[in-house]
Amino acid sequence: MNPLELTLGIMTAVGGFVDISQLVFSAQAGSRFGFALIAAFAISTIGIIVFGEMCGRVAAVARQPVFSLMRHRLGLKLGLFTLAVSLASTLITCAAEIGGLGMILNHLTGAPYLPMCIASTLLLMASMWILPFKWIERTYGLLGLFMIVFVVALVAIHPPWAKIAGGFVPQVPHGLSTKELLSYSYFIVAIFSAVMFPYEAYFYSSGGIEEEWGPKDLLTNRVTSVVGMGLGSLLSIAILALGALLFAPALVAPEVPGSAALETAIPLGKAGLLFALLGMFFAVAGAAVETCMANAYSISQFFGWEWGRHKKPWEAPRFTVAWIAAMLLALLIVMTGVQVMNLVDYAVVSSIVVLPLSYLPLMLLANDKSYMGQYANKWLAKGLGWLFFVIVTVTAIAAVPLYLLTSGGAA
Amino acid sequence: MRRILLLLLSLAACSKGPQADLPYISQARSLAAEWALVNEQASAGKLTQTYVETMRKELRQELDTSGKALSQPHSAYAREIDALLKQPGDASPADLREHARALKTIEDSLESA
Amino acid sequence: MRSLGQVKIVSQLLDLQIIDKDERSCGVVDDIELGGSPGKEMRVEALLVGPGAYEGRMPAWLFWLTRKIAGDRMARVPVDQITEIGSVVKLKSKAEELGLHEVEDKVRAWIPREGAI
Repeated sequence: MNPLELTLGIMTAVGGFVDISQLVFSAQAGSRFGFALIAAFAISTIGIIVFGEMCGRVAAVARQPVFSLMRHRLGLKLGLFTLAVSLASTLITCAAEIGGLGMILNHLTGAPYLPMCIASTLLLMASMWILPFKWIERTYGLLGLFMIVFVVALVAIHPPWAKIAGGFVPQVPHGLSTKELLSYSYFIVAIFSAVMFPYEAYFYSSGGIEEEWGPKDLLTNRVTSVVGMGLGSLLSIAILALGALLFAPALVAPEVPGSAALETAIPLGKAGLLFALLGMFFAVAGAAVETCMANAYSISQFFGWEWGRHKKPWEAPRFTVAWIAAMLLALLIVMTGVQVMNLVDYAVVSSIVVLPLSYLPLMLLANDKSYMGQYANKWLAKGLGWLFFVIVTVTAIAAVPLYLLTSGGAA
Repeated sequence: MRRILLLLLSLAACSKGPQADLPYISQARSLAAEWALVNEQASAGKLTQTYVETMRKELRQELDTSGKALSQPHSAYAREIDALLKQPGDASPADLREHARALKTIEDSLESA
Repeated sequence: MRSLGQVKIVSQLLDLQIIDKDERSCGVVDDIELGGSPGKEMRVEALLVGPGAYEGRMPAWLFWLTRKIAGDRMARVPVDQITEIGSVVKLKSKAEELGLHEVEDKVRAWIPREGAI
């Protein structure tokens, strides 16, 4: 295990953890419910670590990404259905990220929102064309480390650490009305969805193939998943805690993505604000790239096309057309004028509904000794995997009714 | 879609009147409070001018949307939102917070009803 | 014809990725052509690759839509081209020799060969 490669891998996972949905829901969760929803972040992070590690292991051992093997397990009709729903939900998520980029650039430069969405899209596409896979991932992941300013801001305001620690214990705050209880439940569902987005599994597993992982890389995979994603979730938890300490007393429940940057400006001034906006830009940009590529991976792997950014664009032509089309379609959705906050809501609701369909084939593959040999799931991975599968299935069933009953958490 | 859903819920619950407007009232309260926070931090020199202007514009747009969605346009809370929209961008945080607190009082009384 | 031995058609072969002798992806086993007759041994004759092979595997309306989007081309890969069946099907020839890379090559003509590191 090359220590430099490992460090870079971990740092990339940290910087790449947060996306526009997590930004929005972390700040709102803290301002509405104090530290109580920290447990939802912690538990869902364990879930993404479990599934992420499994994805990387399947990629390294079976040398095939999840979507290829998924078609073989589910067959054509169910596979096509899974492909269609995951493409739709990942496309909406990509549109939310592009909209988020437009807003962040608007706050940074003052330039109008829609032209900034177009400019961001072109910049992302240029980077995806020019850079090979490893440097696409590293660039956005490492630059996303500007987000550490949120942890610095939290430390700077001398928070009540004991109370924050208490938030890691699953709980229901006292004295909530029925409506607030429903909203609290919706937030739990939304946080699970935002942390465990299906595109992350597709991207991570395909990334393992892009980086030519083999059984010798299993330890790298495990350390990157556990340490990288674990530390990454601390960024979201810091945003939540800052929301609880700075927004709640001021009666603010942030309604716009740019509000999160206030959390660093209040203790750290202009430098904190700029670091936050830059961190948000690169983290959300990384997420836009990942969602776009996840769609291209899914469709290419399902139909057996050449794929991957470890190849030059002309060496995998249909894959290239697929990611260009995915990015442009997402931009088109933004150009219709639908609000970013609505896109974020649609992204989390559609993704949580798709999540059980996405993770079931992964569980079946990772348990299957005929693919995985000695590296098939042992008791811990099996137990945790099935536990989280049940959790995501329950949240998937509850998601749409809760969204409607609470007007997307507003009520 | 959130607006459409809120509108549908309001129409469905039209006999409840102000209850149907509760999500918009709490939204407006939060936007007013955030506007106050932005102006307060701007006065303390903690924000860039670009960020201040873009946030004020966005918050005002959201307030306007909330105001237009109300089912009771002549209510006390509708008047608070109108008064907020008449405020200059650099209104004093204290004035903005007064409106936010007034909306909070209405919000709390509707929630306990 | 090279003997594959016993193979489970649905669980082992159908919908499996195909890679050619240069380890390039060149489709998925979309359907299987079987040979034999009543009372005699059933044999896998060929792999069928391409949207045209979906006809027997999806409802008529869905196949109509698929044809509108992707056409109905189909390549036939004789079973003696298969060297291995595992997590993928490996072939002994290049994709072009079996008609498996036609669309990929057509689309390649649209892609500029510049700018990528």
